[in-house]
Amino acid sequence: MSSDDALNDAYKAWQEGPLQERTAPGELRPQHRGYSGVLKDETRDEFRTGGGELVVNRLYTPLDLAGVDPVHDIGFPGQFPFTRGRDPLGYRAFRWPLSFYSGYGSSESANERYRALRAAGSNYISLALDLPTQNGYDADHLLALGEVGKVGVALSSLPDMERVFSGLPLDHIHTGTVGNCIGPWALAMFVSLGERAGLDPRTMDVSIQNDPIKEYTGRGTYIFPPRVAVNLAADVVQYIRQYLPRWEHQYSCSTTLRWGGCSTSQEIGFGIANLLAYTEEAARKGVAPQDYVPWVHLHMTADNDLFEEVAKFRATRRLWARAARERFHTEDPRVLALRLTVFTGAHRLTAQEPLNNIVRTTMHILASILGGVENIATPAHDEALALPTFESTRLSQLTKLILQDESLVGQTVDPLGGSYFVESLTNELEEKGRQVLQKVEDQGGAIAAVENGYYLREMADGMVRHQREVERGERPVIGVNTHVVENEVPIHLFKGNADDERRQIERLERVRREREPWRVEQSLKEIRRVAEAKASGHDENIVPAMMQAVQAHTTIGEIFGILREIFGEYRNPTII
Amino acid sequence: MAIKVLIAKPGLDGHETGAKLIARVLRDAGMEVVYTGPRQTPEMIVHAAMQEDIDVIGLSILSGAHLEFGARVMELLRARGMADIPVIMGGIIPKDDIPALKAIGVRAIFGPGTSTPKIVDFIQNELAVA
Repeated sequence: MSSDDALNDAYKAWQEGPLQERTAPGELRPQHRGYSGVLKDETRDEFRTGGGELVVNRLYTPLDLAGVDPVHDIGFPGQFPFTRGRDPLGYRAFRWPLSFYSGYGSSESANERYRALRAAGSNYISLALDLPTQNGYDADHLLALGEVGKVGVALSSLPDMERVFSGLPLDHIHTGTVGNCIGPWALAMFVSLGERAGLDPRTMDVSIQNDPIKEYTGRGTYIFPPRVAVNLAADVVQYIRQYLPRWEHQYSCSTTLRWGGCSTSQEIGFGIANLLAYTEEAARKGVAPQDYVPWVHLHMTADNDLFEEVAKFRATRRLWARAARERFHTEDPRVLALRLTVFTGAHRLTAQEPLNNIVRTTMHILASILGGVENIATPAHDEALALPTFESTRLSQLTKLILQDESLVGQTVDPLGGSYFVESLTNELEEKGRQVLQKVEDQGGAIAAVENGYYLREMADGMVRHQREVERGERPVIGVNTHVVENEVPIHLFKGNADDERRQIERLERVRREREPWRVEQSLKEIRRVAEAKASGHDENIVPAMMQAVQAHTTIGEIFGILREIFGEYRNPTII
Repeated sequence: MAIKVLIAKPGLDGHETGAKLIARVLRDAGMEVVYTGPRQTPEMIVHAAMQEDIDVIGLSILSGAHLEFGARVMELLRARGMADIPVIMGGIIPKDDIPALKAIGVRAIFGPGTSTPKIVDFIQNELAVA
């Protein structure tokens, strides 16, 4: 008798034995198994994953993995198809950095916060920019009213940048920024900052998020039509790969898609579709996939369903490996092994009883670690209420260290590999993710799916579905629709400095007075020349012109004013 | 006649999920909804309210600029003789700021996690519109 037959027989015996007894009508149920009280029925007819797409069975057995090849489908970490991770040593050779996405107010307030973070042991500082800066406006623009320094630091010109990093050892910390539709400018600011500090920019560690697609589908700080934005982002990639070998050129983000309502498999499929679009745009600029992919991260999130999320990360790596092999006709592991960054599930944090969010974020981090991701960023538990305080930011960062050092998560590589349940979910999510990817590719790829509103529609539908489930009580959210308390425990919230806007505008005016006007004019002429060349189909990298402009203390509003004029401003299709 | 609601996003904040969700919920509740999309100045919002003959204005703000935008919108409504149009607000708005918003005339503030039927009910029953 083969082992398969033995397994089938044993499974059948279990079904007909203990299972059948347990699910028999109440009076026939055995009461001799040591359970106390009455044995209840299952609480639901059907159990589903948190994302709602998959049915969760009562039990998973080796029979669920009948079609899975342990070598070709699961394999080994560091080997195709990378289901079990990208590094053969996993977290055994890794320490979580204390990284902070932070920034607010004027350059002085931000500098103060960064110095405090550095003193608290942070070696990774990611610059949060305010909305005027992310949209390419100066602090005194009409639309900047009330927004200066609110969600990040205000940077209108190079002197602001120098003040932000004053006293920080640029050659010993990893820095970077969002800056998605202003990527070439952000790059020019960091290079110029290093040069002004007397450093060789090549020795700095800098990451630029440089992901315009997410702005059309998530945060909304887009400026130009999508194809222009993706072209400008590829300028950053091309420049970095040519001159700055240690810099990270892009984080391709499906985080905000999921936060905005798309499903688990869409987070996988859309994320990979976006990354394929970027890889191809880089290739058009002469940056081959083997030079592009190792420096990119797919930036995902972690939702509440622990095992589904673990499976999602594993499925994403495997689907990328397979899709990229097919697309780029290569066996090169540099192309096929994908790095994952997670920004944990800020969309699941509640304004009610914010301390509960500490538990949620801990589970999101655990899912990310069990899924073998390379990088984890976390929102603070009070972020649904206001910008985080220093204390809440620090706590969210320490959580992953507590998991690593005290719970000892990560001592073996891919600890859930081989789990009947997790491998089954991994298979199902990969398959669903593949279908989603195909749907996007059939429309002409990620950029088309942005332009035609497909992403936005899918997100809006998902969001409404989720909200209804919560309101009908089908989806319990502790503190929101169940276990609600009337009198909440007050927590201390962060408050910005009201004076920052005025100070920033005064400083901007001083910069405009004190710089050399001819250099500014010349630099804007050069920006215009390159942009016009691009607009007429003669692609030329815009980064050198940006560098010249930034160094002449030309302001961001002046630079992007010209670009807006030439490329036009985009407006998303309105989809409700 | 259906209650006509303008859902507007003042400023540069592009987090539209909440605004769109509310727009959809109000529409499903039988109201007529005009959604401005993001990047609106207070002037644009008040102008739209006038053009569209709006009964209720809903502002969605997550960037922390709710006091500035709230004050400016209320001021413009008064200046144009439209102070009778009720304004409600949603987004990330700290509790401590609610009295200040109420003081300038914002009728209700709905924070994260508000159940949407509560907003529908407020518009239909608490605001004497339409």
